[in-house]
Amino acid sequence: MKDLDQRMISAHEADDRRRLIKLYAEAADTVNDLDASCFYLTHAYVFALEAGVPEACGLHARLKAHGREA
Amino acid sequence: MPQTVTDLSSVRRSVEKANGLPNAHYIDPEVFEEEKHALLFSQWAGLAVAADVPEPGDARPIEFLGMPLLLIRDKDGEVRVFQNICRHRGMILVEAPRKIEGAIRCPYHSWCYSTKGKLVSTPHVGGPGHNTHDAIKRDDLGLNEVRSHVWRDIVWINVSGDAPEFDVAMADIKERWREFELPLYHGGPDSRFELEVATNWKLAVENYCESYHLPWVHPGLNSYSKLEDHYHIEQPGEFSGQGTMVYRQLTNENGEKFPDFEEVGTKWNEQAEYIAVYPNVLLGTHRDHAFAIVLEPKGPERTVEHIHLYYSVPDSDEGLRARNTQLWKTVFEEDIFVVEGMQRGRHATQFDGGRFSPVMDSPTHCFHEWVATKIETHRAKARAAE
Repeated sequence: MKDLDQRMISAHEADDRRRLIKLYAEAADTVNDLDASCFYLTHAYVFALEAGVPEACGLHARLKAHGREA
Repeated sequence: MPQTVTDLSSVRRSVEKANGLPNAHYIDPEVFEEEKHALLFSQWAGLAVAADVPEPGDARPIEFLGMPLLLIRDKDGEVRVFQNICRHRGMILVEAPRKIEGAIRCPYHSWCYSTKGKLVSTPHVGGPGHNTHDAIKRDDLGLNEVRSHVWRDIVWINVSGDAPEFDVAMADIKERWREFELPLYHGGPDSRFELEVATNWKLAVENYCESYHLPWVHPGLNSYSKLEDHYHIEQPGEFSGQGTMVYRQLTNENGEKFPDFEEVGTKWNEQAEYIAVYPNVLLGTHRDHAFAIVLEPKGPERTVEHIHLYYSVPDSDEGLRARNTQLWKTVFEEDIFVVEGMQRGRHATQFDGGRFSPVMDSPTHCFHEWVATKIETHRAKARAAE
């Protein structure tokens, strides 16, 4: 996770939105807590929504399945 | 009601006896603020041109009389105008012109909006990882849309939201130019320019309306389009301007011309018209090209003129376009010393608004009468509200 944190910070610094989507989705899968997972999924989803990329649909579906998105 | 309440009774007399608008209407910040509501927010005012956002997703922040707006072409190609602020904390959403690939994300807490203004995401609004909350009804929290309409490529807005429908408000000008209800093609980057002028926006309207000044300020026109070839255009309460019976088409070294707007009729072979559509849009039309000037009032004594030239075909000749742009730029630049000179003149305290030529100045008087009527209506409403 420490390595992932570092990669996320680097992606933020580079404003690399595509990479941020992947890294936040990856982070969501590395934590066991549902709230923490949905926190990361939310960030992945928001960046995907902003970029207009197809991943947004899958991320939205995951959040919705947990009752976290409309 | 502002502290400065001007007496407009002499403005509303007939042109033989009328005075122009009092100085305060050109230099007083309080009257400028009053006119912002009475003349600009309450009408269909020109904001921009649709060519500013040519592709779906193109977004351009624009400040209009201090109000942050967002001009955007939505995913289906419709041009819309929103207040450029998030419904959450009022943060500015888009800082610079750019393409919206998916959603508009607020840079503060990342609430997201579609290009049609719908609120589509509210991250963590119900706590970390909880993106909904019963109190936050997304359907009620879309971007605030400003009423807008595109005609002759101009994006017209009615900020107050209570002006008559656009087609009703503009029925007379649309009827006058019905032959020109044809596709207009913006000439592109070489067919747009801006002039920053130290004047009140109304002086630009007033100067544009009348032909009286042409032989003195634009002597180059004397060789083919003389003062006597011009006529007045007056539609009280809506627009005024001038026309010419002698329009000569531009040609290049090979004798080539711009193609005509098809089927506009022989009436327009040598005729051209220049009309100020109140409040702030100046239009010109000819058999082979058109232009629009959107006046952006930046303050009581500062205006930016946004000038755009249009043609009947998407692929008009580049060299001719450059020549035409330069021709009009020269004409409009010739007017700058006049509108700036009149502006400086409005600081002479005993100036009474001036007197008009009953024969030559009636289009300008028509505009002043519209201004006075709208302001008096606005003041009456304010008094009634008090």
